[in-house]
Order: sequence, then structure tokens, then C-alpha cells
Amino acid sequence: MAHPETLDRLVRRVAAQVRRRRVEHYALRGAFWASILAAVLLLFKQPLGALALPLAGGVLAAGALGGAMYGALRRTPWADAARLADRAWGLEDRVATALEWAARPDRTPIVEALVADTVARVEQLEARMAARRVIPRDGRFLPVSLVVVLALALAPPVPLPSGRLPDFSAAAGQEPTETRADAPLMEDKAKPLAKERLKPSAFEERDFATRAGGSGGSMSGDLSAIFKDTALSSQRPDFQSFLKKGDERLKLLEQADRLPDLQSDFTASQYKMVYRKSKSLTSGGLRDISPQKLKELLEEMERLGRKGGANWQGDAAEGMEAMEGGQTDRALEAMQRALDKMRAQDEAGRSGKSLKGGRESSRSGANSRDRRGGGEGGGPEDQDFGEGEGMLPGKGRSGSPKGEATGRLRGSPYDVGVEGETRRGRKEGYDTNLTGRGGQMGSRLQYLGVIGQYRKAMEDALARESVPRDFHDQIKDYFQALDER
Amino acid sequence: MTQDARVVDFVASFEALRAEVEKVIVGHREIINHVLIGMFAGGHVLLEGVPGLGKTLLIKTLAEGLELSFSRIQFTPDLMPADIIGTNIIVEDADGRKHFQFQQGPIFAHILLADEINRATPKTQSALLEGMQEAGVTVGGVSRPLPAPFFVLATQNPIEMEGTYPLPEAQLDRFLFKLRVRYPALEELNAIIDRTTQARAVTVDRVMSGAKVMAFRELIREVPIAAHVRDLASTIIMATHPLWEHAPDVARRFVRYGASPRGAQALVLGAKVRALAEGRFNVSVDDLKALAAPALRHRIILNFEGEAEGIDTDQLVSQIVESAEAAVAQSKEPFLR
Repeated sequence: MAHPETLDRLVRRVAAQVRRRRVEHYALRGAFWASILAAVLLLFKQPLGALALPLAGGVLAAGALGGAMYGALRRTPWADAARLADRAWGLEDRVATALEWAARPDRTPIVEALVADTVARVEQLEARMAARRVIPRDGRFLPVSLVVVLALALAPPVPLPSGRLPDFSAAAGQEPTETRADAPLMEDKAKPLAKERLKPSAFEERDFATRAGGSGGSMSGDLSAIFKDTALSSQRPDFQSFLKKGDERLKLLEQADRLPDLQSDFTASQYKMVYRKSKSLTSGGLRDISPQKLKELLEEMERLGRKGGANWQGDAAEGMEAMEGGQTDRALEAMQRALDKMRAQDEAGRSGKSLKGGRESSRSGANSRDRRGGGEGGGPEDQDFGEGEGMLPGKGRSGSPKGEATGRLRGSPYDVGVEGETRRGRKEGYDTNLTGRGGQMGSRLQYLGVIGQYRKAMEDALARESVPRDFHDQIKDYFQALDER
Repeated sequence: MTQDARVVDFVASFEALRAEVEKVIVGHREIINHVLIGMFAGGHVLLEGVPGLGKTLLIKTLAEGLELSFSRIQFTPDLMPADIIGTNIIVEDADGRKHFQFQQGPIFAHILLADEINRATPKTQSALLEGMQEAGVTVGGVSRPLPAPFFVLATQNPIEMEGTYPLPEAQLDRFLFKLRVRYPALEELNAIIDRTTQARAVTVDRVMSGAKVMAFRELIREVPIAAHVRDLASTIIMATHPLWEHAPDVARRFVRYGASPRGAQALVLGAKVRALAEGRFNVSVDDLKALAAPALRHRIILNFEGEAEGIDTDQLVSQIVESAEAAVAQSKEPFLR
């Protein structure tokens, strides 16, 4: 069964409409991009001369024509055209189905009825456009680009920047005949450095002069010259008044000896330094030290003792004498004593800020026994508390601000471990007032003796520490209640 | 008879049958159309709706309008398969000899009303569903064909779920369409009151024979469908599958399982009947759109998110059809869309 002529005609008509829409669509696109190219050509109207206008027009026409050609040459499948016809005229897919099934060998008898029905309907159709117009996105800007092209065509040539390269040929013009002698000196031409930049160099000069041990007059003269170049010269009328008024920064720089040596470890104490030195000298036990090295070490200790006025200076001197007398053992003992004293002084210097020190240091080690035995260092800081004595908060040599905890009987952590019996009589609750041996033991701290000191510590704390103000009255009331007791 | 005449006859018969049903049933025009489409397409229809909307009456009226046998089974939890398909009973002949004789069940009818099908146990439901699929039953090792045309119209109540056995998806798939019977409009309700509370008795004429129904079923299969319409049907079915690469977002988000190929058959067959009933010789895109919901709503299984958000399957199908149409159109040049 051949395609019915009526349906074929309809499909061809629709395909032609589609082609026409495509021509419009692609011509617009081509014209837009060609107009961009034409505008670029018109920008170069000056170099192109009389050719620019016809060239731009030609490009524009070629773009539009090329787009139109492309659209016209694109193929439209008949099935798509038939479907478009169905949709355009509301034929409910009759044309597409009829055309598809009419050509099929397995068509059913009802297809003939379908074709006949479709043809009858198509013959009654009004001729109208089935394909819709699709304006391309870039085609919407075509009027703008055309106006630009027109403006460029009518406007005078746009002057283009001449990007000419310099002529390096020998024949090219004479160089300026400025001689070296006429030219200003480089020093003169150079811009003066910013005053801030000069400041460090001036200070360096000052340091150099000081360290070189120059006389005060010459140093002052040098500094005056440098002072003129510094920013401070605008603030002070002359250098002498500047020195008199005193500038903390310059004073600080003059006292280079007092400046900390940032290269060294200032966290280390003298004891540590000497100890390290002794370790480095001996590279092992003190007994293996050579007399020469021992002498060097004692000299170093004596020097440190002289400088700091420490109490080990005598021991170091005794060691030196023993060395000169050939008594190495005696020299070693003297050195050991000096080391112990250095260590004790070092620990005392920490004033309870570290965890170590105080009683702890005196409890441990044979060194403390030696010290006690030697009778040296028996000052108030070295005294230990006797049995029955306690420590007050913040007192003594304890690292803890509140002092060491009172020692418990038998070292048991619980009061229930205290030897004794509970008292007789009615008990209101848990009671630690013991009878027997425990009950007869006197208090280690005299209450009335220490309460005043606690009170003073409280007042100090209220004055110094950041105790909330709202709590002050409460704390004072508490201590008042203790007094009344 | 020419093809034109056959089609004209079908259209006239279709409209005559619908007119007979509408003598009794007020409103529900779309439901009646879809029931008739299901019958002519050779499928079975499941009607879902609350009690009192006329589901059973519709089916009874349809049976009265056809020169076909009709039986009704009220499904209850104690209904047994033998109560549906029949059983062998011992009979005594004239000579006094006893032998087994097959006593046919109510399934041996042209039109079967399975009322409240979800109230029977799955075993009993299966007995019916086997007959629906195979157009025959097997009793005592003997296969017995069911009369042709065999058309099952089942009803179920969606709100009373206690003591019910909801049909599993595999059995739901056997139904060509699932129709939702909704409340009538105000005017329709007035007409129902007038028609059912007066003394006037309505008689339904038999306008179509079983042979004619079978002939129309053959005619319907001859209706041509264009490639692009068939492609759209396939695309719609594929778009219901969340794992399909071009599946729309709604399907990916709310669907667990999509429609089966049986759904595509239902869609196209129903579209053919609809086209022919409108006097058209071909299937159109509009036919597919009109029948997408009844053909697919019971074949799409929502996932947890879909159930939790109360997604309406009809709206989901509508969105899937739209997205499928858009996907087909997008593949075309703008001038040809």
C-alpha cells in the first residue's frame, strides 16, 4: 500500500515549513556572528581604507547566507514532520500512524480504514503554519550588533594605537650627546634613603664605637654626625640635649654588657652550669678526674663564687690550696662541698615555686645528711620541723603554698585505721574523737597559736588574690566564728 | 463487513452498553468506561472504594447488559478454594453405581464478581487468580477451561483493613486496571436519590453477546500504534523504575519497584480499546496518558519514603508520564517538538 498522496503532500508541506523556519533560525545566527566579524573589520577601517566597508558588508551577507544555506540543507525526517502535522492540526497521531503502517507488510485491515479516515480529515484542513518559529539566543542580539556595525561604518576611522618598536639600527637617529662628565654623579642622582632605613645603621655605628673602646669625645662626635641622619634629629635640637634628656633606647644600647645574651641558656642556674662543666671535664665519675681538670673546675667555681658572693667560695679556695699542696682527695671533698652548697642555694632561690625543694630536698639523699653533718647551711631555711610541729600555710620551704599535709599515724590514709577505741556513750554520728591511745594523743598544732596566723593569711589573700567581693563578708564571718570558739 | 463497519459497530455497542449501565449507575462515567475498556481488552478489573458507592451494582448491571452468565462470590475469611472452583462429589447413577462428578464452582461463569476479594485467605485468592491468568482451573488433576469471555471484576474496601488479606503485588499485577471509585458529586447524589427511592423500576437490556465481545477483542488487537506512541509507552514504563538511568527524580525518590512489562501490555491494550471506542483507528498519545493511572497505579510499589510522605500514586504516575513525554520531546529538534 503506497503512501496516500494527500498525506504525502501534507508531510512535504510541513517539512517545507520546517525548512523555512530553519532557514530563518540559522540565517539569524549566521548574521549575528558575521556582524561581530564585520564590526571588527570596521575597527580597522583606517588601514583597510576603501576596502573596509565592502568587506564588512560582504562578511555580513555571507554569514546570513551561509546560515540560511545550512538551515535549508538540513534533512527533515518524514515521521517527525508527520508527527508535527498531527500536533499542529490535532489529528491525534493519525498521520504518523497511517504513514508508518501503510508501508508495513504486516499491516492489519484496519489500517486501510485508518488511512481513509486520515485522508478525509487532512483534505478538510486549513493551510496554516505548523512549524513554530524558533529565535536563536544569539539572534536576539543581532539588532545591537547591526547598530554597532552601522555606527562604525558611518563614523570616521578609529585611530589605532601605533605600537611601533624602537629602531635599534645604527642609521637610526643620533643618541643624546650627554657625556659622562656632564652627567650628575650617581651619588647625586640616587635618591636619599628614607630616614627609617638609616636608623639601624646608625645604631650599628654606635655599637661599634662603644665596643671599640673609643674615647667619649670622638664617640660623641660620631654620634652627632649620625644623629643628624636619624628621625630623632627633627625632635631634638642637638645631640647633646638629646643625650641629656636621655633616650632609653640609646642608653640600653650603650649598656651592651647588661643586655642578656640570647644565645645562652639563662634558665640554667650557676649550679647547673658548674655541674655541666664538671660533667664535661670529667666525662665520668669525679674520682677519675685529672688534677689539671680538677684545678680548672675549682677555678671556675671560685670565679663564680667571687662574682655572686656565695658561700661556697671558701670551699673552692680550700680545694685550690689542697690542689697546690698535691692533696687531690682533699681537693675533691672541698669541691663536693662547694657543689652541695651551690645546689642548696639554687634550690633556695626557687622560693617554693617549683614542686621540689623545702623539706623534700632535706629528706632525700645522702647529700642532706652530709650537709647536716657538716654543719654548713644550717640557716633558718634549712631547719627541719621537729616531731609535733606543723607547717603553716605559705611558710617553710615547702613547694606547696599551704604547706605539706600533716603526717598521719602509721601512714594509713583512713582515720579508721588509727589505733584506738571509740568513746563511750551516745554517738550522734561518725566520731573521730577516739579514746584509748589515740584519744590521749595531743594535738600537733595549738589551735589558739595558729588561728591568728591563719586569719592573717586570710586577710592577705583577700587583699591580694582575686576573691569575689561578695564572698569577703562570708569569709570574714567564718573566721570570726573560729575566733569565738 | 468492512473494517469501517466493524469499528462503527464496536463504537455503537460500546456506547449502548455504557448507556445500559448508566441507566442504573449515576455518574462514574470514567469508571464505567474503564471497566468496559478492561473487559474488551481481555483483562480483569479491580475496583477499590469505600462501601456504598455502587461498585457491586455497577458490575451486576454490566452483567445484566451482556448476554453472559454471571456469578458472584462474597469473599470471607473461611472461604475455601473449592468454594470457588468446585469439587468432585459422589453421585449415584440410575444403575446404582457411584462415581465422582465434578461440581463446578462459581468461577465457571463469564462474568465473576469477587466481592471484597481481600477478605479471603491468600490460598483462596490464589485459586481465583490462577483462573484469571490461565483462563482455566485444575481440579483433581483435570484441567477445565473457563468459559470465554471470562471477566473478573473484584472489589475491595481500602479502609477496613482488619481481618483482611491485602493482595500481594504479584496478584495485583494480574489485574489489567485498578480503578478507584470516588464519592459522587452533589448533582450525582441527587440523581442517585431520585432514581433509587422511587417506585419506578429500571430494567437493563441485554445489548451484547459473548461472541460479540470476543470478536471485538480480536478487532481491538488490530488497531495500529505508531512507533513514537509505542516508544512513549515503553518510556513511561521504564520511567517508573528508580534504577533506570533516565528515571525522573520522583521515581528515584519514592518508588521501590516499577511497573512490569504486563503493565506496558495493559497500557497499550487499554489505549487501543479507548481509541476504538472513540471511533479512532489508531492509538494516540492521549490514550496512553488517559490510561496510565489505572494501568500503573497498582503496579508501582512505593518505598518507605514514599509511604511515609503519603505520596499519591496517581499523582506520581502523572508526573512520570509528564517527564517521559518531556524526555521524548527533548530528543527532538526544537522545530519538530
